[in-house]
Order: sequence, then C-alpha cells, then structure tokens
Amino acid sequence: MPDMVTLTIDGQTVSVPKGTLVVEAARQVENLIPVFCYHPKMAPVGMCRMCVVKVGTPKMDPATRQPVVDADGKSVIAMMPRLQTACTTPVSEGMVVVTQDSEVEHAQRGVLEALLTSHPLDCPVCDKGGECPLQNLTMGWGPGKTRFDYNDKVHFEKPVPLGDLIYLDRERCILCARCVRFQDEIAGDPVLGFYNRGRAWHIISQSDPEFDSKFSGNTTDICPVGALTSADFRFKARVWELQPIPTVCNHCSVGCNMTFDTRSNDIKRVMPRENDAVNEIWLCDRGRFGHHFNTSKQRLTTPLVRKAGKLQEATWEEALSIVAQQLDGIRSTTGGKAIGGLAGTSLANEDLYAFQRFFRETLGSANIDHRSGSALDLPLDDAGAQYGIRSGTDLSTLGKGTVVLVFGADPEEEAPVHLLRIRGINTRGGSVITLNGRPTKLDSIAKHALRYKYGSESAILAALLKPLLDSTPADGKRATLRGFNDLVAALKGFNLDEQASGISADKLNTVAELINSAENLVIFYGRDALTAGASVPAGLANLLVMTRKAGATNSGLISLLKGANARGALDLGVRPDRGPNYAALSNAGLDAKQMLSAAREGKLKALYVAGVDPVGDNPAAAESLKKLGLLVVQELFLTETAKLADVVLPVLSVAEREGTYTNAERRVQRFRQAIRPTINARPDWQILQALANQLVSEAVLSAAGGDKSRKQTRREEDKARVRSEWTYASPAEILMDIQANVAGYKGVSYASLQGPTGQWGRQANENYYFDGTSYQNTGGLGVQLPAAVETSSIQTLQPFSVSTPASVADRPWTLVGATFLYDDGALLTDTDLLNNRKAKAVVALNPVDADKLGVKNGERVTVSSGRGSLSLPVHRTKLAPEGVVVVPVGVNNVGLVSVVEGGATPVAIRREA
Amino acid sequence: MPKTEIKEHIVMRNRDIENIRDLDVYLANGGYAMAKQALTSMTPAAIIDEVKKSGLRGRGGAGFPTGVKWSFVPKELNPKYLVVNADESEPGTFNNHEIIDENPHQLLEGIVISAFAIGANVAYIYIRGEFAYGARFLEQKIAEARERGLIGKNLFGSGYDVEIYVHRGAGAYICGEETALLESLEGKIGQPRLKPPFPAVAGLYAKPTVVNNVETLTNVPRIIEKGADWFRSFGTEKSPGTKAVSISGHVKNPGNYEIPLGITIREFIFDWAGGMRDPNLPLKFIIPGGASSNWLTEEHLDLPMTWDDMAAAGTMLGSGAMVVLDTSVPVVRAALKVDEFFKHESCGKCSPCREGTHFLVKVWERIDEGHGRVGDIELLADVGKQMLGKCFCPLGDSSVSAVNSAIKFFRPELDAAIDAQH
Repeated sequence: MPDMVTLTIDGQTVSVPKGTLVVEAARQVENLIPVFCYHPKMAPVGMCRMCVVKVGTPKMDPATRQPVVDADGKSVIAMMPRLQTACTTPVSEGMVVVTQDSEVEHAQRGVLEALLTSHPLDCPVCDKGGECPLQNLTMGWGPGKTRFDYNDKVHFEKPVPLGDLIYLDRERCILCARCVRFQDEIAGDPVLGFYNRGRAWHIISQSDPEFDSKFSGNTTDICPVGALTSADFRFKARVWELQPIPTVCNHCSVGCNMTFDTRSNDIKRVMPRENDAVNEIWLCDRGRFGHHFNTSKQRLTTPLVRKAGKLQEATWEEALSIVAQQLDGIRSTTGGKAIGGLAGTSLANEDLYAFQRFFRETLGSANIDHRSGSALDLPLDDAGAQYGIRSGTDLSTLGKGTVVLVFGADPEEEAPVHLLRIRGINTRGGSVITLNGRPTKLDSIAKHALRYKYGSESAILAALLKPLLDSTPADGKRATLRGFNDLVAALKGFNLDEQASGISADKLNTVAELINSAENLVIFYGRDALTAGASVPAGLANLLVMTRKAGATNSGLISLLKGANARGALDLGVRPDRGPNYAALSNAGLDAKQMLSAAREGKLKALYVAGVDPVGDNPAAAESLKKLGLLVVQELFLTETAKLADVVLPVLSVAEREGTYTNAERRVQRFRQAIRPTINARPDWQILQALANQLVSEAVLSAAGGDKSRKQTRREEDKARVRSEWTYASPAEILMDIQANVAGYKGVSYASLQGPTGQWGRQANENYYFDGTSYQNTGGLGVQLPAAVETSSIQTLQPFSVSTPASVADRPWTLVGATFLYDDGALLTDTDLLNNRKAKAVVALNPVDADKLGVKNGERVTVSSGRGSLSLPVHRTKLAPEGVVVVPVGVNNVGLVSVVEGGATPVAIRREA
Repeated sequence: MPKTEIKEHIVMRNRDIENIRDLDVYLANGGYAMAKQALTSMTPAAIIDEVKKSGLRGRGGAGFPTGVKWSFVPKELNPKYLVVNADESEPGTFNNHEIIDENPHQLLEGIVISAFAIGANVAYIYIRGEFAYGARFLEQKIAEARERGLIGKNLFGSGYDVEIYVHRGAGAYICGEETALLESLEGKIGQPRLKPPFPAVAGLYAKPTVVNNVETLTNVPRIIEKGADWFRSFGTEKSPGTKAVSISGHVKNPGNYEIPLGITIREFIFDWAGGMRDPNLPLKFIIPGGASSNWLTEEHLDLPMTWDDMAAAGTMLGSGAMVVLDTSVPVVRAALKVDEFFKHESCGKCSPCREGTHFLVKVWERIDEGHGRVGDIELLADVGKQMLGKCFCPLGDSSVSAVNSAIKFFRPELDAAIDAQH
C-alpha cells in the first residue's frame, strides 16, 4: 500500500496515494475540475490554466515545525495567495482545495473567454461537434457571451494536411500541446512541434514525410477541439448519429479494443475502446484506418463454382453440395489423409475450433495448419503459451522493477501498440533491453541496446544462461528444475565468440544480472527470433525459468506472431502435430509445406483453404494446387489461391458477424456484429457446420455409392467420430463447446468476456472527454488465459543447444525478411489512405555496403541464395546493419519467398548492369 | 540633502579606470588575481560563504540572495552548469550592456570564480540576440583570456577547468525568464518550464544549473578581493552593495548610473539624473523597474531604492530600469505601449496571457483612438484580474501592471478619455 495522503476537496474528505495530483484526487470524489491540456496518460504541463483552484495547506509554526491549531483544535489553513493549477499540484496531507467559488469560477470563465477569442466557432461544420471538450466546458464553465466583440479572431488557412492521414485546422487549435506531447512522450515520434509565438503560435509537422508516425490517429482522439481531424472521418457523419459497436482489431496480435462507429449500415470510423490490459486508449494507424476491407467492393458476394473451366456464380446449396459430395468421395476412396486443410490466423476462435473438428472428426484427417506453406511461414510457437505472460498481468501498471527484454523483434512494425506499452513501462521506471540483429525504434530508450549478428542468437542466449546456471546453488533448487543437467551439458565448454556474435560477454553478463535481479521480466520476441531456430524460444523460456520468473506474477513471454488470432489457432489445434490445448497426437498430419508437396506428388487429393492464400504468399504453390482433385477456398476476396479454386465460398468479415480472438498475451476477446451483411456470404463456422452435417447425412452417404455393407461400415465410423450432428446456433455455443473441451479455455464464455467493464477511474458523472474521445469499455475486457507453467509445480527447462551457422564462402551477406506494418495484405484492401506508407519493394542496404557494391539509391541488385534469386532496387539506409540486407515480407513482387531459407539467409549480392 | 557620493564603482569600474576592457589594463589593476586566489587557496564552500556574508542579491530583478541560490545546488549530481543571463531585454534596461562592452573581464573573472564555487566546468553566457557586437566582443575577450591561461584547462595549476561559451538568443523577451532561457539554450522554443523542478536541481539538460545575471557575477571578484564587510559599506543592511541603474525618459541626463542601494528615488532622479528635462513639464509618473513594474508617482519620490522598500510600495526595483515620464504623456498611450510590448512578447504557451494581452491591447487601442466605451475601464480591470496570478509565468502578470497602475493613479484621466466620446 503506498503512502496515503488525506485532504479535503470542497469539504469532502478523500485519501489518495502520495504524489496524486489534485485534479485526479478530485475525480475520485466525482468532482470534475475542468481541463484542456491535462491528460491522465501524460505529464502535466499546466498550460491552459483551465483547472485553477484554491489551495491551502496547514499553517506550520516555523519554530516547532508543528501545524498551528485554532481554539477548536483544528489546523489553521494557510491559503496560497494565488490560484493553483490542479493538474500540476500534488496533494499533501491536510490540504484544502476549493474548486467551486466565485474567485475560481471567475478565473475559469476568463480562461474560456480567452480561448474563445481565438476560436472560430464553426461547430456546425466541425467533426468534433458533439464530442468536443471545448463545447462542453463552455456550456458548463464559460461566459454566456464574450466581451471580446472584435472581428479579430486568429485566422489561418483552413485545414492543412499533416501528412496523408491527419488534417490540422490551426484556427480551432487551443494550443494545449496534447498532440505534441503524445508524440514526444507516448509514441516516441517527436514529429510535431510549434512554430512562432503568441497568438501566431501554431502546430507544425517537423518530419518528412509529414506527421511520420504510426500512431498519428490518436492525436485526433485526445485533441480537445476539432483542430486535428482524420482524413478518414472528415465530414463523414455527425458523431451523435453514430452507433459505436465494440469490436477487436484483427490486424495484428495485440488485439486492440475498438469500436466500429456505424451509421446507416456503414462503418464511418474506428475508435479505441479503453482497455488498460491491452491498448489503454490507443490504436495504431493501421488498425484505425484499415477498416475499409469490410466494405470493399472487391469482396466476394456470392459462392462461385468452376464450370467449364471458369468460376461462375452459384447458390449456397449448389456450392455446398458439390464440396460435400466431392469431399465424401475422396474420403471414401482414399480416406481423410488425402484431404488437407488450411485455416488462417484472422479467423475467429469459433471458426478455428469448428475447422479442426471438421477435419479431425468429420473428415478423419489430421492434415491441418494455419500457415500457407511458404518459406516465410513462422515455426509453430508453443513457448508463448507454455511460458506466456502470467494471467492477470497488466502491462500498463508495470514500471519500476520491471525489465522488458525485446529479443529479435520490432514491435513498432509487428505489433505497434506494444511499442507504446513498452515505452510506458520505461517511462514508469522500468528498464528496456533490446537484443536485435538490426536497429529498431526502441533502441533509443533501451538501457542496453545490443546488436547481435544474425546466426548467433542461440549463442547470445547461451551467454545469458551460463552465468545464471553457474550461480544456481547445487541444493534442492536444481532438483525442482527438470532438465537442469541437460542444459548444463548443452552449455559445457561454451564460450562466446565475441567476434562472431557482435556482443561482448561482459555486456551480456551485465544483462543477465539485470534480468536476474528484476522483479518482473517480460520478454517480447518476434519474427527474427521465431525464425532463428527452436533454441531461441526455448532459450528465452529457459531465461524465465533460470531467473525464477516462469509463471511468476507480471512475467513471461509475449510472442509477436503474425495475424490477429495466431495464438488462437495454436491453442485450438489448427496444426498437424497437436490437438486443442497442445494435446499430443499419436499420429501427426501433414503441415502446410508437406501438404503442398503431397499435392504436387498427387498424394493429396483435396485442399480446403479458409483465410489463407498459399499462392499469394508463394506463386510457385500454384503448380501444386493445380494437381488437386478439389480446391475449396473460403474467403473475403478472390485471392490468387481462390482464382484456382473449384469452389469459392464467400465469408462474412469481422464487422459483419461475431466471434472471439485470442491475442499475443492470450487474452480472449469478443467482437460484435457492427453492420448487417449486404452480400450473400456466411460466417466461416456456419459454412463448416453445413458441410459437416451434409457429410454425415443420408443424402451424401447414399449418393456416395458403393455396396450397402461398406456404406453401413462407413456410417458406423462416422458416427464414432462425430459426436453428434452440429447444432451450433451461434458462435457463443461453439465457445461453450471450446470451454468444455479445451482445458486452457475453461470458464471462458460470452458472459465472462462481457465483464468486467469500466476501468481507470472514469466516473459516472464524468464528461467522458476528459482523456479524449476513446470510448469507455462497455463491451467487456476479455479473459486472459493462464499459461501452462502457472499451473505446474515442477518447472521444465526446454531442450536447448547452441548452433553456429556455417559461413558460406561465396554468399557473404545475410538476407533478412522483415515484417512491416503497412504491407500488401488483403486487410488493407481499399484503405488507400495508407498507400504512401506501404513498405516498398526494395532491398535495404547499409550505405557503407552500398558504396562497396557501388550502387546508388534506386539501382537494382540481384540477391541470390542457395534456393534462388531476386532482383530489386536498392534503398540505402542505416536501418540495415553492415553485411545485412533487409527485404520486406508481405509486399507484392518482391520474390523473397523463393530466396529465403528459414530465417536469416546467406546470400550473394551483385550489382545489375 | 546633498547627493550621496560613491567612493568607487564596483561593477562599472570602466568609469574609474580607462580602457579596463583591455586585458592588459585589467591585469594591471589586479585582474584575475581573485580568480587565482579563489581557485588555488579557497574552497568552494568558503567562496559561497563569503558571498552569503556579503548579502549580494540577484541583480536580474528578483533580488534573491546569490550565495543562498548557490547553496541549493546538490553536490552529488554532475555535471553542473553556470548560465549567465545576459538577455537584458526589459524595456528601459541597458546596464548589462555597458558592463559587457566596457568591463568584460570582470564579468569573466566573476564567472570563473562562481563556476568554481558551484562546481561547474562549463558556463554559458546567454546573450540577447540583438547584442551582436557584445557577443562577438565577449568571444574575443574569452579567447584572449584563454590564451593567457585565465580560462580553460587546469587554471592556475589548480586542476580546475572551466570553459565559457557565448550563446546568442533569437530575440524573445521571455528568454530572460530563467527556465525559458534554458529551453532556448537547449535549442528548443523559448518558453518557460513548469517549476518544480527548479534549475538548481534540474536545469540545463536536466542538470543542476545556476542562472545568474551579468551584474550579479560582476560583483563577485570585488567581494572576494575586498571582503563582505567592504561590500556592505555600500547600500543598506538588507540591500547591500550598489546597483547599476538605467534611467530614461524625460530626465536631463538619461543613462547608466551605479548607485549605492538605498538612495531615494528623488535623489536619483533629481541629483543623479539632473531632474526633469523640461521645467514646464513636471513629473507625471515613474515606471521604476522595467515595463513589468507597477508605476509610481510624485508621492513615492522619497521611497528608498531597495528591493524591500520598493516591494512594500507594491512595485519592484526590478532590473534597474527607471523610465520617468512627464505630463506630456497621455496615460492611455503609455499603457497601450507597455501592453503592446507584452502582447508582442507573449510566448503563447498559456491561454490567459496569449489571449489576454491581445484583449487588453484591443481595448486600450479603442480608447486611445477615441472609441472608448462606457465600462471599458471596468472591463480592463476585470480582464486584468482574470490574468493576474493565473498565468503560467510572470509575463502575463506584467501586462496587468500598466492596467492596474493607470486605473489606480489616473482614473479621472481614463474616464475623461472615454467621456470625451459620449
């Protein structure tokens, strides 16, 4: 319990932790002191002067240093001669605050009158109208009319674009600096600033391109006037006509809580919903602006069936019966093993569970995966669930005592809102360590920003683990660590090759000490780490175990997997080797790569693809798919894969249906239906249910042909596999099934996901624009699943070994495929606003290396590995370390997929003539 | 009463010794001997103690005891900085200017001693951008002193290093406010910082920093040389020493004077500055300590010029900038000019100052132009009340001085200016 301080505010006694600001203490007793510049997520600045109040403190006798008391024994209060800003004044014991009297009101009225002398009062055409703190506070605290009757308001050119996404109306700006401070303090992109002074003082962008930040949209939420508006929402609707529907962002694994604000069955804007345990009140620009795919004209609108070599529109009945009959045909002739299924990571938990049931139970096939079978697929990550961040962890509360280790990850690009949360931990006194192969933005705040050489990841981890092993006493402690001796054996004789790894052993000893002495240890790892071999996630898990933080409060791994629901896909067994809840299987099926090979060899007859695009990810996959007897694609869009399909089944998007996702921190969260579908599409689970039921129905069985006894046997087999006919009426019922059958999801239901709501001190009486226009969370905060290690008494060290990559003489460079936030993925379809920010199809090359090769910006190079080569223009940048070339993943026409071998790949580079 | 004589100048020694701006002349008159003595035979604590004993108060305007300010600097936090406020931009002030141009080495010696006292190895002179000559001149003087081993590494074999850099401001009055000065020195927009933390704890680059005025530091070598008691032989008990004061306006002999603190305003105007310029135009009012100070009138002529006496009279000694105005000056025009200055210089950071100064000017303007309205005086007073004490820094408050002074002393004239239109 922190030291508490008791004070009175307008006669009401309140106790708050030491250090609390008067404005926050007042909120606790539902006393709203008006503010403009103050924001609870940022350091106070006291600029707008709106929150001035009277403050007094107990008078002290200078001789005795004791409070002076009056005849009644009460402390005499010495009122400060001037009004004080409640946002910059910390509470003190015995303080007396007066927020409502004529003097305070007079001053506050003055501030509002002052602000309005420069404000255009164009509320009728202002997007902020209706949710504007300036409007609201003027109604509550302002003068009814101004004494400043000049036609002399500040005039600026009406909105100027600050980059592609945000418009700035300088006339409306009241110069509270919230946006500038957000960019400086929270986003860490100090791209906004001020220019000039006095009344001419105004906001400018200081970056090229303008407003170069992935978090710019947040400034429109916290702007207390309509000075900053988004290009996406400008003039789209009046806010009071909008209906905010709670949803969850499906662009990455953070799972930001947000709303689709709809009017007339159309999404007008996306807004954050506060959830401190996930996104606080922030969104990244991809999440905020990338909603247009939902309403894209390019969506599939009706089932398609291939007739005479062409995809043609069909009814659902026709399409489904073709699929059912063909699948049944293959099932009865070659058995389930000739059928494969891919279900992607943007599908809901309910779809994924239904998918694996459909395969394992209905079709009797273990060939399922959530990946596309390309060389850029990530390995299956179990560590993130077994050693995942402990349930109940709220990163927004962590600070002093917490060490965040970012290993082989670029949170800004892979899971942007995590960047804000890591920065927040740092701001609150925690430490950040980055261990990466290339520079990332977090390096600037990191206590240790260390750069390893690609290929040495396991050696780096060994160097971190070794001192921890050595310092573990040979007593009972070792006995509680299963695998201790194996790890000792694996590290026997290990010595860090500082030259090859790029980091000194001393430095790593310091880091090991820091993480060992930390109270909490949070480890983020991303694409670079995941593709660096199984020993990397294992080594990270071992770090947790060896520092006694596996399963410990506020500690654990956060795996930045690709896709909103990759964790859900892994949890629910959409993978060939394990069933739901990571249950071991006696017979593993084929993974995506194996399925493509099997198809090429003619062993796989049918492939059922839902939300995955193998051909889009790797054009070479087309050859395999063309060999199939049946290709079914269940999709939003006519993807490259869908173009080859025999049957295409259109699905509803995240905005048109409901479901749940499991995020990187294993929080299950619910999204709702925001708009009514206007197309002839169905939710994924419904399609699977219809097929599952057809496949066990008499009609299909009898149509399958064959002799009667065989049919009878088959029906018996089906009955044994299929518990019953599927009768899910809604995703809620599938989740009930999941929680009954998947141990990790026990207790997760739509009811439990619904609550609790309302968080950090929003008061019932509060003008909800106090901290911006993000919505209060009424849709539920979700449920965080426990990590496996939390429930086991014995801790197991994971098998770990140090690998040293063999250097390839004629391929001295290292090629790295990097995730960029703005890629060519289907979820950005029709979000043209972000086009200019999309990663370009270029090879990033260090200027020193580029000089060595004699290439200028834009000149082409050929990059060749043992597998193949690609040809791209060069972009000279220090973001590529010397000796490393970086090529974006998920960008069209890059050819990366035919060059990489797993993770970092040795390549040769040649300047093209 | 006869004019008080001053035995010798403390800071404007150029008035006693010709060409003291030249290093050789300065050295011949004992220059840098005190720096040597301080660095080689005194402890920082002893220097701070001597300055404390002398009762030296900050000459920039606030009059805070210099030795006490130095002792606030936490010992354990390093590096520390000494910043010299040479932004001299208060309208009517031009005495630092003379020290810089005519007695620069005494300032530099004061910087060396003071930096040593607070444990700073780097000192920045933040000089008003318009003083281009002064800035170049100081750089030249620093170079000369460095050449002779008087500034730089291992001074006088003491092992102590001090570097002095000159930084020119960019023309903003607010940068005379110490935290805005620090922001500007760091390369940011010149706007005041929220306090606490105070500069002594987290100043330049968030390190412990002492910000002292030019004149304050120029006193230091003489205090070390002659001792606190000698220093106290000038001035009064609570305001010891002398003060360089700039007087301008309708006096016979405007200019800089180094006065012993405690002489009356009457003596200063009439005996030192030669009295009113035109015998037919008597004194109307005095802006005693720069444009931000509350005005005084004839009834205050016997007020002693000390920090405390001026404060008791509701105004301030300020930076030592007295503007004397005779009856030819219309009050409305004077107030308008003062407030136009503050409107022009308002940094824009806080709402009441940014918009309030503009509002005040608009109302003064209409009165001045003959379009005053009934109730305008009350309006000015009310807007002033909404600004006074509610702004982020003292600049906003300063603009209210003219409003309140004009109303306090010249209400009938203001009313007449409005009534004339009705």
